Amino acid sequence: MATPVIETQNVYRIYEGAAGYTPALRGISLTVPRGEFLAIMGPSGSGKSTLMNILGCLDRPTTGTYRLQGIDVSDLSDDDLAHVRSTQLGFVFQSFNLLPRASVMRNVILPLLYSPVDPRERELRAIKALRAVDLPEEYWDHGSNELSGGQVQRVAIARALVADPPLLLADEPTGNLDTATGEMVMRTFLRLKARDKTVVLITHDAEVAAWADRTVHIRDGRLLTAEEERAFVERTARGARAAAGASDKDAASAVVPAGPTTPAPIAGPREASAL
Amino acid sequence: MRIRDLLAETFSAIRANRARSLLTILGIVIGISAVIAMTALIDGVKYAMVAQLGLNQSRLVMINAYPNGEPLQRSDLRQLEKGMTDYEFLTGTAGTSSSVSTGQVKLDGIYTNGVEDKYFVAMGSKFAEGRGFSEDEVDESALVAVVSQGLANKLWGQDADSVVGKSLSVGNDRYSVVGVLEDANGYTTGNETLYVPLSTFQTRIYNWGLDQVYGYAREGADLDTLGERTKSYLVSYYHLTGEDADGYVYIQTMKSMIDQLDSTMGAFQLLMTAVAGISLVVGGIGIMNMMLTNVTERIREIGLRKALGARRSDITRQFLLESVALCLVGGVFGILFGYLGAWALATLGSGLITSGMGMQITPVVTPSTVLLASGICIGIGLVFGYGPARRASRLDPVEALRYQ
Repeated sequence: MATPVIETQNVYRIYEGAAGYTPALRGISLTVPRGEFLAIMGPSGSGKSTLMNILGCLDRPTTGTYRLQGIDVSDLSDDDLAHVRSTQLGFVFQSFNLLPRASVMRNVILPLLYSPVDPRERELRAIKALRAVDLPEEYWDHGSNELSGGQVQRVAIARALVADPPLLLADEPTGNLDTATGEMVMRTFLRLKARDKTVVLITHDAEVAAWADRTVHIRDGRLLTAEEERAFVERTARGARAAAGASDKDAASAVVPAGPTTPAPIAGPREASAL
Repeated sequence: MRIRDLLAETFSAIRANRARSLLTILGIVIGISAVIAMTALIDGVKYAMVAQLGLNQSRLVMINAYPNGEPLQRSDLRQLEKGMTDYEFLTGTAGTSSSVSTGQVKLDGIYTNGVEDKYFVAMGSKFAEGRGFSEDEVDESALVAVVSQGLANKLWGQDADSVVGKSLSVGNDRYSVVGVLEDANGYTTGNETLYVPLSTFQTRIYNWGLDQVYGYAREGADLDTLGERTKSYLVSYYHLTGEDADGYVYIQTMKSMIDQLDSTMGAFQLLMTAVAGISLVVGGIGIMNMMLTNVTERIREIGLRKALGARRSDITRQFLLESVALCLVGGVFGILFGYLGAWALATLGSGLITSGMGMQITPVVTPSTVLLASGICIGIGLVFGYGPARRASRLDPVEALRYQ
């Protein structure tokens, strides 16, 4: 079997705070093969953001090992982790995180400033990435604050793609988008998967997770076992039927972030881009 | 991160905060203005004085020698010239004040200078009309004279067409004018001098030795060591010892005069340095404050850059360069305002001084001054930008991305 893109073994992440030690992750073992589209689902406080930070090499496990592309990154120095991020990883954030004063083109090129890519190649790569996310050429020299939410997220995905990393990490990428734009973003991920990219998506939303090849559930810092998962799915389904009885509208708009079940704070594209 | 990318990022960051950046660099602008105005004025005064003293002949060494209290004579110079090979020639002058008349006009107390033919070469004199003395005229005590333009104006009026060929009297002798000297810098105040051949002066006007000897150094000679060598040569030539050596031989070069000038400028320089120093420190603190604000405002951007692969050093460099660039912009304005300020002060100062000394001060900004100012700016940018830049580089990317 080929080397998996992600392989974690018994990863713990314990925070030290005034209240003592808080374990955010408690023995996560997860393997993601190349070309898989994986959704990690869990409510807020489940540890999914912590897991995302560790998978994204922004944080290190307290114990346990994390192999990215077969390389153990659990104990790398800050600078080495930065190098791993610039060559192996693409991030897509819920709040987009584009630089508002810079053009679309410059935003997409940004990761290449920190990578060994030849400066003469940058523009070409950015054009490729923007084509891959279907952003019309007329927007390329616009300021990122002149775009709609869906366009902004496509720019952000283009930025994640520009260094051609094998792994894309998306943290609630549709959290600030309406249903139609959210779907468009998910379709973009499917296309990338078809091009042998590995995509890991973090969400609290079952409808979004349904786009993925596989979904793992995280609760209290642990991945659910197959049985726990089956029980959980049944419970959710019952809840959904009850909700559908109460209000058809709510159930139908499960992807819509403005729904009452959405725990994530909502920032409009304008505020979010006020970085 | 490449330098060009860094510069582009810096430029766009400063442009995004134009108004705040401009206000912040005010302290730097004032400080650098003070530095520039100070050095420009001091250099200007220096040049003006050098021009005023007629010492733009940088090869001139002034020798005052009274071995055992007696002045040197012309014949001594010819002897000394043989031993002092560092000089192209030595030339001596003797002077006194005398009454000069043309028949219509009589002037008392005109400084009358007995000079040799080479005196005008040594001084780099320019003739408005006519010529200097020939060697023969000096050797044969000819009754010829050179007048300064100021004296010519007084004797024959400003409108006189030609002065060469006219005659004037000193005592019972009639001299024929052979040349008119341009006044230094075109100023006429207090510049009424009559020149006659040295031998004529000594035989007919005042019989005394040489007041002043000028040595005209060979091209490329180092004036400092030349001064030392000249002194020790004279000391041993006249067998002077101890106090006599210092009392009877005094050597001055243009360089030593400028050094003297520098020390008299010291007080002014100290004051301006204090002003500059204080405003530069205040300016630096302003820069630091702005950079800290910048870092706080851009925490999420820093988090993003780190997530995208920026290393600590990339972030440090980005913010350091930003503060250095701010300071340099301040420096550019400072150099500009400093130069303008120096002009204003010079115009004001010249007005006050001219009446007494006939001096025009032109501020001088040299490349080394500009380099110094730029160096100071870079230094301030680095020193006061380091703290904020370090803070930015040490931010935890996870925390920074979550920052609202």
